[in-house]
Amino acid sequence: MSGSETAPGAVAEIEGLTVSVGGRRILDGVSLRVRPGRVTALVGPSGSGKTTTGRALLGEFPAGALVSGTVRVGGERVGHVPSGPVPVGPAPVRGGPARGTAARGAPVGHVPQDPAAVLNPVRRVGALLHDIALGQVRGLPRRARRQAARARVLEAMAAAQLPDGAALVGRFPHQLSGGQQQRIVLAQALLLGARVVVADEPTTGQDALTRRRVVEELAAVAARGIGVVLLSHDLAAVRALADEVLVLRDGRVVERGPAQRVLRSPATSGTRELPPVKLALTRDTAFGAPRPDVVLRVRDLHARHPDGSEVLHVPDLALRGGECLAVLGRSGSGKTTLARCLAGLHRTYDGQVLLGPVVLPRSLRDRDRRQLAAVQYVFQDARASFDERRPLRDQVARTAVRLRGVPARDARAEASAMLGALGLSTVSADRCPGGLSGGELQRAALARALLARPRVLVCDEVTAGLDTDTRRDTLDLLDGLLRTRGDMSLVLVTHDLVAARFASRVAVLDAGEVVEQGSSAEVLTAPRHPLTAALVAASKAVPVPDAIPGPAGSSCRASEAGSA
Amino acid sequence: MSGLGSWVARRLLLGCVQTVAVVLLVFGLTEALPGDAAVALAGDQPDPARIAALREAMELDRPAHERFADWAAGLPRGDLGHSLASGRPVSSYLSGAFGPSLLLAALTVVPLVPLGVGLGVLAARFEDRWVDRLVSAVTLGVYAVPEFALGVLLVTVFALRLDWLPPTAVGYGTDLLGHPAALVLPVLVLLARPVCSLSRLVRAGMIDALASPYVAQARRYGIPDARVRYAHALPNAVAPAAQQLARTVDWLLCGVIVVEALFVIPGLGTVLMDAVAERDVPVVQGLAVVFGVVTVVLNLGADLVAHRFAPRTEVAA
Repeated sequence: MSGSETAPGAVAEIEGLTVSVGGRRILDGVSLRVRPGRVTALVGPSGSGKTTTGRALLGEFPAGALVSGTVRVGGERVGHVPSGPVPVGPAPVRGGPARGTAARGAPVGHVPQDPAAVLNPVRRVGALLHDIALGQVRGLPRRARRQAARARVLEAMAAAQLPDGAALVGRFPHQLSGGQQQRIVLAQALLLGARVVVADEPTTGQDALTRRRVVEELAAVAARGIGVVLLSHDLAAVRALADEVLVLRDGRVVERGPAQRVLRSPATSGTRELPPVKLALTRDTAFGAPRPDVVLRVRDLHARHPDGSEVLHVPDLALRGGECLAVLGRSGSGKTTLARCLAGLHRTYDGQVLLGPVVLPRSLRDRDRRQLAAVQYVFQDARASFDERRPLRDQVARTAVRLRGVPARDARAEASAMLGALGLSTVSADRCPGGLSGGELQRAALARALLARPRVLVCDEVTAGLDTDTRRDTLDLLDGLLRTRGDMSLVLVTHDLVAARFASRVAVLDAGEVVEQGSSAEVLTAPRHPLTAALVAASKAVPVPDAIPGPAGSSCRASEAGSA
Repeated sequence: MSGLGSWVARRLLLGCVQTVAVVLLVFGLTEALPGDAAVALAGDQPDPARIAALREAMELDRPAHERFADWAAGLPRGDLGHSLASGRPVSSYLSGAFGPSLLLAALTVVPLVPLGVGLGVLAARFEDRWVDRLVSAVTLGVYAVPEFALGVLLVTVFALRLDWLPPTAVGYGTDLLGHPAALVLPVLVLLARPVCSLSRLVRAGMIDALASPYVAQARRYGIPDARVRYAHALPNAVAPAAQQLARTVDWLLCGVIVVEALFVIPGLGTVLMDAVAERDVPVVQGLAVVFGVVTVVLNLGADLVAHRFAPRTEVAA
């Protein structure tokens, strides 16, 4: 425990932290101070070092990293800032001194981007909570421990806005909603008595209402006197929450200061690094140029789960040639089910999906090659849609071979050309997916779908969770495609209003029903259904400083305009 | 829960169908073998007249489907028919031989679970260090040795050279418990490969679990190491291990013929071998019923365990 006291008023402090992995500096002299009851936001594009900084507060560093500088939590130096390299090995170093110190001395809570990842899929959600609580009641007689622990668990859950804790502790993570999962993880941190909570992209990939709820929850955490460190590229959330903002770029703090100043003043050095929020505003025109002919029509569709419960009802929905139709809704509204029905991935439905005049078979298996090629699907998780062990180009070329009967050699040439046109280098195309970024894989997924020469391209939440730069590129790409390929129409499944704005028409889904449809200008400026109104209002509710104009800022995180 | 109940009912029904299919197949295959019980009984001096007489006495001259129908008609009453070779009820064969097989299986499974799981956890805990390398190398090596070879080796060393243990169970009949020394070598042979496969599965599951974000979270929040390992990581390795364990118990209960033959243990495997040699169709069919039911029930049990420990997986019929 060398090192001085934490600066007065700070619950955690990082000083001159430099982390290099394999000769590359991923953090370079980062300093930061976390104050009780205040929210410190780290903003910056993916790869700027936000997560590494957050992990350092937890006492965790990448395997093989060279670390210098100090990390103090609650006045104690986090024991394991090593002077030498962090040992490479089975990723979590077992019971290392750092973790021990952090746990005993000054606990730091961690709320990851995907709360489900830190919930054990085969244990009830109360299991870890109970274990944490048991560690705190050791002094009691054996019999009283269990009850005392349970009382503490329920108390922490109530504090994390889960008032019906008793009913939830016995559930498995997959039986909870995403919001409940996140609050369970928050409850763990509160139960631990954490004085600092690191929240990693807590609003990323959520719809506007959920984002507002998360913002409120984190504000409540800070109100308990806990120092919150918010890692985010969601400027709207940062704006709503942060007291202090640090802008990171390439591992350096390029700007810091009170949130108001940093986010407002476009003249400072930070402007470049801040995600360009003008995205939505520069474009008033919708994607593509719709024609009157109907390419795809959904008639009286009733989709059911395999267990028989109805999840979606669409009386009538048409997609015109060259148009972009946005299917807007919260998670669980049935929008992905609709997309999957179109693509033949969801088979249990009554009603019809027509391609031109022809009724499409329900199952992919019953569709012929031409029908398969005509409706192509781009998945939200591009990485999961590729085989890890085969070069990208081969996988992309396969579409042309399978669906259009192109000879393998020509297909590879086509794949190269298409990947090139979408901005993927030959070098990248020869690699396996593991070596590529999420953005590159999305382009590849898009290229793969386009090689089928589809008449309808269905993009399912393809930009959710991307940083703003990548998202804007993706939107531009889709726009360009729609303009150059007049014979293609686009279905954009999204929860993001900004992306929906680009569409010529919008259909809003709520609880499996189409509650509103019409031109995007109409629906989004004068919403008639309460849900649409709530989404629009929620996206505006987060205050937007004048310097960053327009509603785009409010939804900048979530743009969903399908891309690959 | 009613979903689970109806799933179990469907599985049991399907299991019945599967068992019937197995019995039919076994009947057909036994019929297809050259010779029949009469020929087998006539022995070394096959006199056609005697064989014909035997055949008539055993009703083997009746068409195959009639004999099968007769046998099947007895099933609902629990009547498995009578042996062609001895005339004793098939059920007495089964009950006599089930004891030794069950005993061997039980004696094997009791150390199997802690050993397999323990070695797997140990190896995973020290992944890529010498303990893991040693455990992995030994388990892979032992797994590669077939039962008969290991059995012969053990008998040679411990029974013939060192004279510590009896080489076989000859002369002890079905009273094996009275002679525990005779059981040591068979149990060791039976244990060898299942321990290896189980520990390798547990190791793989544990390594995944130990590297997972939820285990990292438990450690981060100060849960003691042992508790993290056994209460938070191990349950994730249970589902695949349970399936493997069910296959192993199935293998044990259905009579491990090689081991029973090697150590002369009068279990189900021995009965099966003798019955096939004598073309004793009712006994073979009786065994097929028992094996079918055991397999169906064990796999159903394993799927239920897997369902509990992999709750996101939908139960598949």
